[in-house]
Amino acid sequence: MLALTDITVRYGERPVLHGVDVTVARGELLAVLGANGSGKSTLLRAAAGLVPVEEGRVTVDGRPRDRLDLAVVFQRIHLVRRRTVLDNACAGALGRLPLRSSLLGFPREVREEAMACLDRVGLADRAHDRAGSLSGGQQQRVAVARALCQRPRVVLADEPVSALDPAASEQVLALLAELAHLEGLAVLAVLHQPALAARHADRVVGLRDGRVVLDGAPDQPVDSLYQVLEAVS
Amino acid sequence: MTAVDGARRLPVPPKPRRPKALALGWALTALVVAVHVVAWDATEVSFGALADGWRGMADFLGEAVPPDLSWQVLGPSLESALVTLWIGLLGTTLSVPFSLALALLAARGTAPSTWAYQAARSVLSFLRAVPDVVFALIFVTAVGLGPFPGVLALVCHNVGVMGKLWAEALEDADPGPSLALRTAGANRVQVAAHALLPSVRPQLAGLLMYRFDVNVRSSLVLGLVGAGGIGFLINQSIKLFKFDEMLTHILVVVVLVVAVDRLSAAVRRRLSEGDHA
Repeated sequence: MLALTDITVRYGERPVLHGVDVTVARGELLAVLGANGSGKSTLLRAAAGLVPVEEGRVTVDGRPRDRLDLAVVFQRIHLVRRRTVLDNACAGALGRLPLRSSLLGFPREVREEAMACLDRVGLADRAHDRAGSLSGGQQQRVAVARALCQRPRVVLADEPVSALDPAASEQVLALLAELAHLEGLAVLAVLHQPALAARHADRVVGLRDGRVVLDGAPDQPVDSLYQVLEAVS
Repeated sequence: MTAVDGARRLPVPPKPRRPKALALGWALTALVVAVHVVAWDATEVSFGALADGWRGMADFLGEAVPPDLSWQVLGPSLESALVTLWIGLLGTTLSVPFSLALALLAARGTAPSTWAYQAARSVLSFLRAVPDVVFALIFVTAVGLGPFPGVLALVCHNVGVMGKLWAEALEDADPGPSLALRTAGANRVQVAAHALLPSVRPQLAGLLMYRFDVNVRSSLVLGLVGAGGIGFLINQSIKLFKFDEMLTHILVVVVLVVAVDRLSAAVRRRLSEGDHA
């Protein structure tokens, strides 16, 4: 479904990704692992179109990426804390709404679709609460509901659980895996904890110094990704 | 002492001397003093004149106290104070749409282009630079004496100040939610309406209340140049040497200003409390 082919990204003179190839199939949760600075977040940003790609292609189902095909879930959640949970979920639909109908409150069909998305993440009963009043794990699930409301085919999650406690982390990753398996989404999640990836992902990709160094079963040893280099160049 | 509490001690090494910094400090001090000497001279500050004028001021106060609290004076005074309040209110409220439009154009992140950003900033600077009294004098000539030119003057100046303050508040907002909506495909206007403005609404409302407070006080001064309200009455009573009436008006003004100040502060406190809840 999602194919990143020969992706090269530079920050100034410094290359961060060297011709990386990664694919995520429909119905698959792929975990991307790697040490700080390995390029794993840059890979996600390149896929989302948040950083300019020097070389390579991002395709969804063989066609060049359309922005609305890809929904992003952020590490720092990025909800509008003062608005209701429902309004935050509705905001995912903005990309396909004409300007006029989106300025004076969301149309009914969008609100009902957002309610279904909130129900999907188990938070339909909190629809009218302020987003800021929810716990971190609940807020991240609202962010997932916002992503669903975008009707994406691919979900990109950038360290979605690194600000959450262990129980909430398990819950959010289980949710992402479920969405991949039951809704047929392609989910790419950048993760910091190999143990979480081993429990929830269908496949892992390991990055080191901007190159893919392992790709395969989620329970394989990944310690080599995190070994400290003797000479830091 | 060391023996008693047993704590380890070390001598403090002498501070490194930095002759350059010291010289700069002296030079700055000399400059500040020199500037004040020039200012003192230019504004003709003279304690002699103040002492000579003491008798005049005593006479002035003697005639003003006690204030004339008869209803013929107090009634019109309260009525005009209310007009002053209305001028301040409309001057603030009517400037909201213009301030909002200019603030969105003058904030990085919402400005559609550098060109629009610079243009909006210039308009705001111009409106801020012209004092409201000058706007009032212009509008009094244009539409005649009365409260209406006062409202127009306040709107003009307030758009300049509030637009700038709002633009700064928009720039200080957390960019995260805006980024999230942009990646979800929302356009510039949708991002402003659904992420930015809802996030900064309490800050904008607080600044609005602060400007309301300031504008009620400004509208007093506008009355002095003929733009209606109680300032107009104060000006009149001075011109007619009715200093006891003037004092009545001033007392009414004090009550009005303190009341508005309290209200504005209370609303702002509530807003900032609501933010942490």
